[in-house]
Amino acid sequence: MTSGLRSIWEALQDRLFFLPPMPEQADPLVLMALLLVAGLLVGEGLHRALGLSRIVGYVLAGALAGPGALNWLDRETLALARPVADAALGLLLLETGRNLDLGWLRANPALLRTAAAESGLAFAGVFVFALVVVGLSPAWSAATAAITMTSAPAVVLLTAEECRAQGQVTQRTLLLTAISCALAFVVFALVLGLIHAEEAGDGLNALIHPLWVLGGGALIGVLCARLALALAARQEAGGGGQVFVLVAAALLAIGLARMAAVPVFLSLFLMGVAVGQFDQQRVLAYTSLPQGHWILAIVLFVVTGAMLPLEDATGLMLLQALGLIVVRGLAKFAGVMATGKNDLPAGRRRLLGLGVQPLSATAVFMAAELAAFYPEVSAQALLLPLLAAAVMEFIGPQLCRRAFVLAGEAALPNREPPP
Amino acid sequence: MNAFANLPFATSRPLTLGVELELQLVSPRDYDLTRAATDLLASLHHDGRCGDVKLEITESMIEVNTQPRQDVSAIAADLEGLRGLLVEHCRRNNVAICGGGTHAFHRWPERRICPGERFAFLNERYGYLSKQFTVFGQHIHIGVTSGDEAIWLTHALNMYVPHFVVLSASSPFVDGTDTAFDSARLNAVSAFPLSGQAPDVGDWAAFLDHMAVLQACGVAESIKDLYWDVRPKPEYGTVEVRVCDTPLTVDRAAELAAFAQSLARWLLRERPPIDPAMQSLVARYNKFQACRFGFDAELADPLARCKRPIAETLTGLLDSLMQDARDLGCDRQLESLRRLVESRQGDATVLRGIARSAGSLNELTRAATEFFARPSRYHRHD
Repeated sequence: MTSGLRSIWEALQDRLFFLPPMPEQADPLVLMALLLVAGLLVGEGLHRALGLSRIVGYVLAGALAGPGALNWLDRETLALARPVADAALGLLLLETGRNLDLGWLRANPALLRTAAAESGLAFAGVFVFALVVVGLSPAWSAATAAITMTSAPAVVLLTAEECRAQGQVTQRTLLLTAISCALAFVVFALVLGLIHAEEAGDGLNALIHPLWVLGGGALIGVLCARLALALAARQEAGGGGQVFVLVAAALLAIGLARMAAVPVFLSLFLMGVAVGQFDQQRVLAYTSLPQGHWILAIVLFVVTGAMLPLEDATGLMLLQALGLIVVRGLAKFAGVMATGKNDLPAGRRRLLGLGVQPLSATAVFMAAELAAFYPEVSAQALLLPLLAAAVMEFIGPQLCRRAFVLAGEAALPNREPPP
Repeated sequence: MNAFANLPFATSRPLTLGVELELQLVSPRDYDLTRAATDLLASLHHDGRCGDVKLEITESMIEVNTQPRQDVSAIAADLEGLRGLLVEHCRRNNVAICGGGTHAFHRWPERRICPGERFAFLNERYGYLSKQFTVFGQHIHIGVTSGDEAIWLTHALNMYVPHFVVLSASSPFVDGTDTAFDSARLNAVSAFPLSGQAPDVGDWAAFLDHMAVLQACGVAESIKDLYWDVRPKPEYGTVEVRVCDTPLTVDRAAELAAFAQSLARWLLRERPPIDPAMQSLVARYNKFQACRFGFDAELADPLARCKRPIAETLTGLLDSLMQDARDLGCDRQLESLRRLVESRQGDATVLRGIARSAGSLNELTRAATEFFARPSRYHRHD
């Protein structure tokens, strides 16, 4: 059929001089558009038919189209889509950073204890599991723990939006996720040094690289936050100009981070925190991301799905990944249940323990940062956290959604039938 | 046999006071209303010595009730205790709380009905009105000795509904728009079929007959189905004034309670002639004038067949009440109201000023939370 089409095309070319040569492959934009639509359709379909989170559908579409299954989205196309996925994750982490409400933490220090407990236990649990049960080296065990200790900011944020959830379980899930992100990013930077020391025996890089990552991320975040606030103050309050300025400054931060080889997620998260802290005049306090960020979210999760190393999974690996998920899940749950007893009723804490379970794009992108330095070693060493993320891509959004629904905080359309 | 035939009127000490405030629960992120009431109540631990904290119809509202008290100082102390308790508890839960009769820009379809049989019934009966009823009022209970006295005082206080409205008006914005009303809240109440004024009945027995008719026709099951401006509350032994917007501060709430107590004492002492039938001719018009124009309202006087500027009427009335206020120990609060009438800087005017200077209704609501967070000046000094 293709050869028939080709001969017709070539015959037409003889007559119509403006026609280009028959394209050998689809333009990446065409592929991305098809993928967006496929992600949207699968997401909406699963949501309507089974009540699943739309995110599950997006990831499923990506996983099916990716190199691990049908290979419609090969590694080259994935690389082309990466800036868009970076932008999507960056904008969502900007929002996560803005959710890190230090005023709330000052008013309620119990929250800090809960955050430290759930993130700390998750790190310790996963580290021991990777070291003792799986047999990874100390540095790669620490990397696995750093990647998986955080909840998934993009999933939690989008699930809260999708359910229009409001309440203590939702707010605290968002806050704990933001704090666990902050902790995980610091630990991740330190782990970079450990990996350099272990893999290359390079003391200079082991020392400087974490500083480069943290310092560079902070510098980019702070500068772009200051720029956004300064420009937004000159725009009409509450107008579209302020949204534009915020998004433009975020895109600038993403670009700078990519140029400086500083993790985008870290820079944008720090930019979000900085916007919240420096905005004394509340210039951008009431500015939200435009609704269009859902389109970026679809790209992010489709790409994340395609990046999952499903083709490398063996039975044993999957079992180990499941073990990691159980250990991490129990650690996070125990951390939440063991703290804040006078602050939140036990039933609500149980749901909070459920809400912070997701593990997703941030982990995959953290792993990708590491893999870029040691592709040969990391392919095997990072398989464990990536497979855990792969499984959690499908479970995490559901757990989070379930927590919000059981807490009575989701605005479900059938909760209040019309009289 | 109807439920009202022998409904007893609980006797209470004359002129005891009780205050209920409906308060707004907003998110400190954007100062829009948020779903918070059941969460806050579930984790709130208090001994109840200042009163009670309750759910209201939607999750973005919370109600505080003082204990029944003999004097305004005790009411101010209760209000300050409840304010401090809630502000601190809200802060720990990343919720902000404020007064004001309406939220300036919330979208009513987003409100969630609180769990509870009564709220489900109201939602079922009134449809979208139940969510639009996310407005915030202050109710003042005044103790009376008998049902007959309650009926007389209800009629007498009805003449002063516009005065209560003007002094408390704090709801100029609805749906992100300046309504040009000082109190737009009462327009939401007016949509309910059983709002308005109590019927022209002469005594408690006649009132029970009237209620029996309403019950027999399926109009109302109990007195709490009636959203009258002023109504008798037999189970408490009080008359309840229900037309005030929740003010921005608990101090103003205490001042309104002082006004209600002094006015009731003066009315019961002087027993001026009242004509409920004539008053009912102009009641809605006068209430509209007060809601719309605030201190610039002009009230119709059907007996003198003229209209009178409410600011003048209020000044004279407050002068007349001053001796009663001194006897009751609440002259300080009444003096404050007199200064308010002179300055005309009521809560509605203050809110408009903030909206103008800040240029954002989010900032307006944030300012309202800061007003509410300020400690009471009455309680500190008393």
